[in-house]
Amino acid sequence: MANVSLVDVEKRFGAHVVIPRLNLEIADGSFVVLVGPSGCGKTTTLNMIAGLDPITAGQLLIGGRDVTDMPPKDRDIAMVFQSYALFPHMSVFDNIAFGMKIRRLAKSEIDSQVHSVADRLRIGSLLDRLPKALSGGQRQRVALARALVRRPGVFLMDEPLSNLDAKLGIEARSFLAKMHHEIGVTTVYVTHDQSEAMTMGDTIVVMKDGLIQQSAPPLVVYNKPANTFVAGFIGSPAMNFLGLSIADSKLVDPDNGFAIAIPDRLRGALNGYEKPKVVLGVRPEALRPAPRSADSSGAPLLSIDVAQHLGHETLLDASSGPHRIVARVGASDDSRIGEKRPFLFDAERMHLFDQDTGANLALSPI
Amino acid sequence: MSKPAPLIHPRRTLVRLRYATPKILATLFALLLAAVWIGPLALMVMTSIKPNSEFLNGPFALPIAPTLEPYVKVWEGLKFGVLMQNSLIYAATGSALAVGLALVPAFALSRFEPPGNRYIFALLLTGLMLPQQTVLIPLYDMLRWLHLFDTRIGLIVVHGVYGMPSQILILRGFMTTIPRDIEKAAQIEGATDFQIFTKVILPLAVPGIVVGYTLNFIAIWKEFIFALVFLNNEAIFPAVGMLKLNSDRYISAFNLPSAGLVISQIPIAILLILAYRWISSGNFVGSVKG
Repeated sequence: MANVSLVDVEKRFGAHVVIPRLNLEIADGSFVVLVGPSGCGKTTTLNMIAGLDPITAGQLLIGGRDVTDMPPKDRDIAMVFQSYALFPHMSVFDNIAFGMKIRRLAKSEIDSQVHSVADRLRIGSLLDRLPKALSGGQRQRVALARALVRRPGVFLMDEPLSNLDAKLGIEARSFLAKMHHEIGVTTVYVTHDQSEAMTMGDTIVVMKDGLIQQSAPPLVVYNKPANTFVAGFIGSPAMNFLGLSIADSKLVDPDNGFAIAIPDRLRGALNGYEKPKVVLGVRPEALRPAPRSADSSGAPLLSIDVAQHLGHETLLDASSGPHRIVARVGASDDSRIGEKRPFLFDAERMHLFDQDTGANLALSPI
Repeated sequence: MSKPAPLIHPRRTLVRLRYATPKILATLFALLLAAVWIGPLALMVMTSIKPNSEFLNGPFALPIAPTLEPYVKVWEGLKFGVLMQNSLIYAATGSALAVGLALVPAFALSRFEPPGNRYIFALLLTGLMLPQQTVLIPLYDMLRWLHLFDTRIGLIVVHGVYGMPSQILILRGFMTTIPRDIEKAAQIEGATDFQIFTKVILPLAVPGIVVGYTLNFIAIWKEFIFALVFLNNEAIFPAVGMLKLNSDRYISAFNLPSAGLVISQIPIAILLILAYRWISSGNFVGSVKG
């Protein structure tokens, strides 16, 4: 068990700066997910923690020890690769025992450890097989077993589920979460899949261009995104963004019929904000067409472009002028394509972002 | 008014012919090429089972009274068994030396970027393109100086070194296809560079090693000039080299060298058949991805 601290960590390839300056504290026993689009530096960060990529500047501490210049084997870590990276010429047993054989442990010791971890992962009957005779899910378990048997202080996982098909991936997801709950090893997990990040992590670290955009528990990231990037990246379908002007405590676009009252709790956030426009962010579930019976004068009228019936819910794509939104509504919604309907915005779940920087105005002082 | 369509449309036949013509031409061309390759081989086999007089009467005629006598004569008269043994020694050890010398440089060039990478490569390619004739005299001098002239070891060393550049290129190409993650996994498990090389890369490179070794084996087996120049003692001559001397001696006996050539090619054929299974073994299935 160990905590991980990255202090002013920087990564450069020649003149190209990949990670400008990264500070991250990973608590002992936590499950931290690094998430972001490809090229955001999440895998590089993981490789630096693993010791596979040298750190250009800064410091890395694992369990309080400075391991910045140590080789991977001395860092008290284990890693599961996206490709599993099993040794194809070795049996499952030898794959799991590889590290122990390198460390010249006694044969009986190796034997008992391999069997105990293999039984735990339900691959005990596969020990004599070669990787090519295993299914994707089994290969993944072998890779996990090889990592687990090291009893590491920190578990590093690089997109371990992305090679599994969707159904197996969801199974493996809960399997990993359960395993983490049982053994409680600090885990750093890299993924590009926001739903994986939401469901697995205690803490989500959203990255973009080598910079941490937000680091917080999943629901905080979801409900209080630090900026438009985080708001747009986490959640599916993505948050809707509308560029509107501010007039008389309303968000307006007169040409397209928008006049939405600014909720009281957000008024303070706009104090001192003097740019002409502000970005209103609303998640698809915070939007719905007004009931046909209700009086909805003043609500913006949007025409329905597409209705996607998913069975348990329906996604409505609607637009007015340049503004496009997606609303998540009940399965029984009867909107017709081409129809114009007034939409209600949930005041409790509105976000305001800076038009230029994208920062969440309710969180960051101007 | 419409006429009933004829059962076989003349235009359709024409169209079909137009599509088939290139295929027919290509097949004919391929057959021609095959004939050019197989012709001399067939001639060699045919000559080897004719009495010499029959060959002189009609070199291209089919054998009238096939005989195995030339084989017996060559095998006994030239101690062909010994010659084959020599060939085997040169080819087996020479290519082992070439592959052995190439393994570490190939790994280094496939994984790390050693300083002067490009120059090393340029040198290797030069080594590949150098005609044998250009190195004959310097090598002759060097072998004399090392007291290795007219020795088995001398010829083995020459073959090993001469084969190394192509082996480096073959093995390097092969090693670059071994997924990097496998190596990283070994690194995380605590393997040193040397252990990664011996426990992971080498076992995975076996198909590449087999390919390289086989090609080099064949090259040495049929090599002629080096053996002719660097050896005098006929007792240590390889089979192919000896045949040349022999055709000088029995200048009119065409059937004997033919029989010798046929015998000398048999091991190569066997080797190719054996190696083919290895070469196409697909060792990587299951290492990475589903």
